[in-house]
Amino acid sequence: MAREAPPALVEQEFILNALKEDIRLDGRGVDQFRPLNITFGEEYGHVKLQLGKTSLVVRISAEVTKPRDDRPFDGLFNIAMELSAMGSPAWENGRSTDYETHVTHVLDRVVRHSNALDTESLCILKGVSCWSIRADVHVLDYDGNLTDAACIAVMTGLQHFRRPDAVVRDGQVIVYGVEERVPVALNITHKPLSVSFCTFNEGHNILVDATRKEEQAAEGEMVIGINNGGEVCFVSKFSGASLDPISVVEKTDVALLKVKELNTQLDKVLQADLAKRAKLGMADESRAANDR
Amino acid sequence: MTTPLILLPGDEVPSDYLPSSKSNPLKIGSGLRLLSQPSTKSKEPNHVLSATQAGILETDARRNTISLLSFPNRRYIPTTNDLIIAQVHHSSADFFHCMITPHTAQALLGQLSFEGATKKTRPMLKQGDIVYARVLSVGIGAGAEVELTCVNPATGKANPGGLGPLNGGMVFDLSTGMAARLLHASSSSADDDEPVDGLVVLSELGKKLEGFGGFELAVGRNGKVWVDCSNAEENAIKVTIAIGRCLQGTDEHNLNPADQKKLVTRTLRDMKLV
Repeated sequence: MAREAPPALVEQEFILNALKEDIRLDGRGVDQFRPLNITFGEEYGHVKLQLGKTSLVVRISAEVTKPRDDRPFDGLFNIAMELSAMGSPAWENGRSTDYETHVTHVLDRVVRHSNALDTESLCILKGVSCWSIRADVHVLDYDGNLTDAACIAVMTGLQHFRRPDAVVRDGQVIVYGVEERVPVALNITHKPLSVSFCTFNEGHNILVDATRKEEQAAEGEMVIGINNGGEVCFVSKFSGASLDPISVVEKTDVALLKVKELNTQLDKVLQADLAKRAKLGMADESRAANDR
Repeated sequence: MTTPLILLPGDEVPSDYLPSSKSNPLKIGSGLRLLSQPSTKSKEPNHVLSATQAGILETDARRNTISLLSFPNRRYIPTTNDLIIAQVHHSSADFFHCMITPHTAQALLGQLSFEGATKKTRPMLKQGDIVYARVLSVGIGAGAEVELTCVNPATGKANPGGLGPLNGGMVFDLSTGMAARLLHASSSSADDDEPVDGLVVLSELGKKLEGFGGFELAVGRNGKVWVDCSNAEENAIKVTIAIGRCLQGTDEHNLNPADQKKLVTRTLRDMKLV
């Protein structure tokens, strides 16, 4: 069974009727995200994100490799995402679905192709060695709007991650351990996020951050990738009912607003985590001195 | 019995906890398995039951029933006599094939197992319709089919009341533990002073929503609750959502009676119903 179980007819009908009165099942406004909760693991670049009941884990990792022959100045950056049976009983391990292709495509476009991570800064020695950054996305629970959740988590992970310091001395690449030198933050050029919209009732209702049930009752979907500066880096309208061009423009404004809100929230949690780490680091140092 | 008895999977039910009435046959609910029955041949004078889940033992001496009140997990395993809300997947010549939970084997519901159903009057259910049904049998062993019914075979009536297709309204998902609590609370509403299982959310909603014409509720042990308030007319959708949110909130945050009342007040104000 590679599909989510279809909702009951009454559910579908009820969701649509409620939306005609501008009411959502959980009482949210049309342009309101579910509560977003982000926590960090012990290591840099380990992000746990919960958006309502959708929850996922992102790990960022780095290793030194040879750059591609056609781009000797560029490092590598990849996003790996696989929907495993852990996230939803509808997904099978090792078998990719259309949905998986769609989500990975959006992530690829919004985060990777928009150059959010400056890959040139990952170069260590031209044509010889560079950093390869990899983001692994694991879905733990699925309740709709995977694209936005994954996008937020990957962007948070990239901003949180610190790679080991590396220098070139006499043509030799030396990578310092995390204990030897303070690890380096990645060079983030801008902070794009995706905002997905679901349309209902012939385009009369357009919702942000739909739950799984809402997604199933929707007639169409649109994804807008945009950064804080209002630069749109991705728009997709792959399937479903057609949409009025005016509403695409209107919803871009909404997306900008949402992305600004989300990025402020992300900055806050990242700052709080950094402060916590700084305090812990100092405590560790003083403890080491005492041991001596 | 004064102190509740907590059992772990595999624990045997102590014989002094078994209801002692000999007039009725002992009825075994979910979470328990019968190991041996009293008979003339065996030396054991009592039923031997063992728990298949962790939970609190519940007994009812008057009706001679025994069951296990389990923790609020999300997985539902059909047990005979459970009331459930099933969704029709497709129909064949003799049966409606129903989903009790998504991605598990489908259950069978006879085309004629409805109250007063004959070949000509049977309900024409289509894919996605929901029915309130009772688990008739679960079969034994792997691949056994679960059979449902909407009628009491002895009386030919939709007994207990309300079995059959559910039209209109809305279905909300709950944990199976919460569904069990709701069913338990509604079946033993003898005295109003003492809330059953610490659950006051329904009576509170009933009091507050009386002015809107009240509401209808069907609880399925498979973690679904169907709510209908068509009496509330233009407020029907708001009232339905308010009820759903109160039930889900109570379930998710495991609220105590005082907090349940607060949640009801807050939700109704939020939905502009007060």
